[in-house]
Amino acid sequence: MTITLRMAWRNLWRHKRRTWLTVGAMVFSNLLLVFMISLQFGSYRMMIDNSLKSYTGHMQIQREGYNDEPKMRSSIDAIIPLATKVREQLGSDTVAARGVAFAMTSSEERSYGLQLVGVEPAFEPKVSTLPGLIKQGSYFTDINAAEIVIGTILARNLRVGIGDELTLLGSGHDGSFAAGIVDVVGIFGSGIAEIDRNMAQLPIGYFQNLFGMGDKGHNIVINAAELSEVTVLQHAVMGMLAGDDKLVVLDWEILQPGLKQAIQADFASAWFMYAVLIVLVAFSVLNTQLMSVLERTREFGVMMALGVKPARLGGLVITETFVMSGLGLVMGIASGLLLTGYFSQAGFTYPGMEEMADRFNLPDRMYPSISLLSTLLGPVVVFLFSLLASLYPALRLFFLQPVAAMRAV
Amino acid sequence: MKHLVRFFLLCLFSSPLLSADVDPRDLIQKAMDHWRGTSSYSDMTMTIHRPDWQRSMSMRSWTKGEKTSLVRVTAPKKDAGNGTLLKDNNMWTFAPKVNRIIKVPSSMMSQSWMGSDFSNKDISKSTDIIDQYDHSLLETREQDGHTVYVIESIPHEEAAVVWGKEVLMVRDDYVLLEQQFWDQDGILVKTMKALEIKELGGRTVASILRMGKQATPDEWTEMSVQDISFDVSHPDSLFTLSSLRNPRQ
Repeated sequence: MTITLRMAWRNLWRHKRRTWLTVGAMVFSNLLLVFMISLQFGSYRMMIDNSLKSYTGHMQIQREGYNDEPKMRSSIDAIIPLATKVREQLGSDTVAARGVAFAMTSSEERSYGLQLVGVEPAFEPKVSTLPGLIKQGSYFTDINAAEIVIGTILARNLRVGIGDELTLLGSGHDGSFAAGIVDVVGIFGSGIAEIDRNMAQLPIGYFQNLFGMGDKGHNIVINAAELSEVTVLQHAVMGMLAGDDKLVVLDWEILQPGLKQAIQADFASAWFMYAVLIVLVAFSVLNTQLMSVLERTREFGVMMALGVKPARLGGLVITETFVMSGLGLVMGIASGLLLTGYFSQAGFTYPGMEEMADRFNLPDRMYPSISLLSTLLGPVVVFLFSLLASLYPALRLFFLQPVAAMRAV
Repeated sequence: MKHLVRFFLLCLFSSPLLSADVDPRDLIQKAMDHWRGTSSYSDMTMTIHRPDWQRSMSMRSWTKGEKTSLVRVTAPKKDAGNGTLLKDNNMWTFAPKVNRIIKVPSSMMSQSWMGSDFSNKDISKSTDIIDQYDHSLLETREQDGHTVYVIESIPHEEAAVVWGKEVLMVRDDYVLLEQQFWDQDGILVKTMKALEIKELGGRTVASILRMGKQATPDEWTEMSVQDISFDVSHPDSLFTLSSLRNPRQ
């Protein structure tokens, strides 16, 4: 094997420029793949984090069946003590209880049906970005205050401002009439039209009182520190709830199936572009190796005449490709990591991104997310395709006739 | 599909049997008039049933003509005073807890009325069916010594109606036995059935009506009429916002 390896190495440097050109193509595509895939993963993480942190959270404790059919009656008993317990056991602040109801909301002039969410004023800002997006007024702090924060679009539709009263009318937990008057204390603008138009938040104490919920609520939102820790945390919370078979812990993939699908669709379409890049590199390797085999036809003929088996020659050609692709892999990953590493610290931005980010409350810079997967995925596929491309030149050797080969031009 | 086939068969075989003098539109009109009178006053109980709970409310209702009515909850105490006023396809609701009258916006019309299986639309637009639908007689059959007419009503092309069709069963004494609501895909969504028919206020009427969705058979709402009087004269001032807020009866 060592002799094959040594020969392969020497053969490669018989045509320095050609080898460097091919390696260069690989390095370039690997660099591009490492950067693009890391950037893509980074933007997915940003997308997921941003859309989950605006409202849904990484996971939620719910009563079984609530996610499929959110009904007032599918509630969790003693929800605030339960949220407190989870918070203490996890040693984490990012846990908040919520109640959800549908009600008709009216100002002096107009009425709209909307989703009312009762939240814990002290903990909601830790699980959701919404309280931080108050454009006018402020978020409520008293858990029992008859106060409400609404979205910018709803405020415009209802024609109300800070300090105005809203009348809420709906059905309570026991089927009785729920009615209340609340003061608008804050107006938020999340940039997500659906939320700004159809949602309002009230303190959970007042909410429970208004809808005759007692101590009940509908879900407990739990955020992990990192998206990658969600599964571990989910199991930890499941363990805590083991005594209650009516409660389930659902992660964001179940709570927001659309998000995962959007990412998968985007990733699939991106792979189409990557595939073109990879196939191009593979063809350039095929071209190089085929040429180097063809130009050595006489040499191979002599070697075969001296008793070298075609399998060994094939092995030699594959080893050459292996070494060359290995060079491309290592140098590509190294340069890719350098570039990506720089941008993962400094952030990546392009003209016009700032405006877009501002509108949707996204960070104005993207940070590529470097992981083993994002680094290796592209280069390894390039490596494998290059090896695959060398199969054809290698297999040709099996059909070489030594005498004819020695006479070849 | 099965239903469709059945309807076709019914049309084929039953048409020669139909009495030529029955006009389905007229029949529905008479059934509505029969139930409402030119005006009425009634005491009723609404029971909302769910698999894990049940709740009853007593209410009083006044109607005048086809488009004017007032409903007020009288018991339980917690909900007493809540009311709904209907006038010319507008709907207002009053909540004593906050002492406010709110006009129900059209976007809320498909929402449940007072937490029941009746939607606001069911309550307010019950007579729309006469003018906004085309009616055809599907079948006549004999039941308990009465002739029952099965009428299929399909909304006009431009009618602002959520249903694909409705099927009504009207008895020859103008008692509405059943009303089915089908969606535009030809699936039965919900049914209102008369569970009890008796003599009230000098007329034979359905005294217990049950509305239930097809998909959830263990969830329903029952309206049971205790007392009803027809052709009572109500002052116009009864059907005003101030009367909705301040009961004088």
